[in-house]
Amino acid sequence: MWYFRSPEIVFGEDSLSFLSLLSIKRATIITDRNLLKTDIPERVRRALGEGVESLIVGDVSEEPPLSEMTAHLGRINEFSPDWFIAVGGGSAIDTTKILFFLYERPDLTVYDVTPLVQLGLRKKSRLIAIPSTSGTGSECTWAAVLSEENEKRKHELASREILPDYAILDPALVLSLPLEQTRNTATDAIGHAVEAYGSTWHNPFSDAMAEKALELILGNIESVIKDMKNPAFRNQVHIGASMAGLAFSNSQIGLVHALAHSLGARFKLPHGKTVGLFLPCVVDYNYDSCTERYDKLNRLFPDKYRVGRLSDSIRTILKAIGQAQTIKEAGIDEKEYFSNLDALVTLAGESTGMVTNPKDSSSADLRNLFIKAYRGT
Amino acid sequence: MPKFATEEWGKEYVEKLNSNSNYEDAGKNWEGAITFVIQKDESFNKDAYLYLDLYHGKCRDTKFSFTESELPHSEFKYIGPYANWRRLINKEIDPIQGLLTGKFKLQGSMIKIMRFTKAAKEMVSTAATVDTQF
Repeated sequence: MWYFRSPEIVFGEDSLSFLSLLSIKRATIITDRNLLKTDIPERVRRALGEGVESLIVGDVSEEPPLSEMTAHLGRINEFSPDWFIAVGGGSAIDTTKILFFLYERPDLTVYDVTPLVQLGLRKKSRLIAIPSTSGTGSECTWAAVLSEENEKRKHELASREILPDYAILDPALVLSLPLEQTRNTATDAIGHAVEAYGSTWHNPFSDAMAEKALELILGNIESVIKDMKNPAFRNQVHIGASMAGLAFSNSQIGLVHALAHSLGARFKLPHGKTVGLFLPCVVDYNYDSCTERYDKLNRLFPDKYRVGRLSDSIRTILKAIGQAQTIKEAGIDEKEYFSNLDALVTLAGESTGMVTNPKDSSSADLRNLFIKAYRGT
Repeated sequence: MPKFATEEWGKEYVEKLNSNSNYEDAGKNWEGAITFVIQKDESFNKDAYLYLDLYHGKCRDTKFSFTESELPHSEFKYIGPYANWRRLINKEIDPIQGLLTGKFKLQGSMIKIMRFTKAAKEMVSTAATVDTQF
């Protein structure tokens, strides 16, 4: 017995207009600091239609700690929304999931957001996610990442009840996504698809999502990078990223994310970039335990990227889109990195990603992977 | 060959757990007792309890009983009917998926145990290595 969980997905040109079809009275729109400088939050507000009251909470930073996430909870409670609308990347969407939960259940703490606790949400409000990046997949997942400020740790919170009711994939919202975020978020999405496909919990539904996601992303990401304002290419990658989100949400992440979350908690690197730094190494490491499935995935790579094994093809596409190949190349100081190695290994070992990876790993294996990802050999 | 849900099985299990280097590695920072609760069902006529005092990758004490009150308090309980335990030991159920699909229940701090999912998996893998009679 297993499940396939998904929000209702609205996609394609002008899909933002779907908001006017919902009976929304009071919407809290949560977005990030960078997006607040653009017209996107206002476009979302306008798309709600006449007579809808709205409150924009617009200072979500990248991977915010809980104290920052909840700074506006008082205002939100006072506003009393019937809908939460997340507009942004993974940080804004995850923050919205947490605020939605805390608004619904002020008697609980974020640490109650686990798959085993019946939260009883949606008594007062519902949840929409509108991604402005193509990669995190958070709009389609029942997970939220919470950065722990004191412990330098990323908590992986999960509950089917924080899965958004709707995900709106409007390509117009990603046309202005800067180059660096475009490549990092696409790398994250490729990582989601590969990890979902190799997961010990993989299933026919997650497989289908992972395969199609890779087809859409690999077939279009280089074109997006060359022609950033092209809505057709953007749309394909945007849909592919959400499908990759659905893939891993329904089969779980693996060792790549365990290592990437650990690195990201200790060093300030964008999440997608950290995924790219570990993905080829982990695919190499897993290969003997996942040969047939990895070979099958490799055959999905367009000819121009397919070389040797899956890990080689991944290296080729990441290089083609300008992604750093090693942690050293990503700018992390060697001395500082290796002085944190014990902590990195411990954090990675405590990640839920350890459980569903196709190959079991010891602390020594994790240490070797951290070293290999730093130097590339 | 020890029969499942007996003191003999518990002792054999702990012996195997304490010689499992993967568990020792994954549970090296774990401190806390866990009780396996085997609930009666059509194929087993009384509840059974296996208490395991786990500390830094080793099980330093164990007790088996059919009466829960005879055992020390444990921070965590992993609870399921006998038939599901049988499927778990035969590797027909994944221990975490078992929780997510309601075949097992867990009592205790989720935030703590979520950091030790690898150790939990090793505990179940170890159970599968005990040559068990049902």
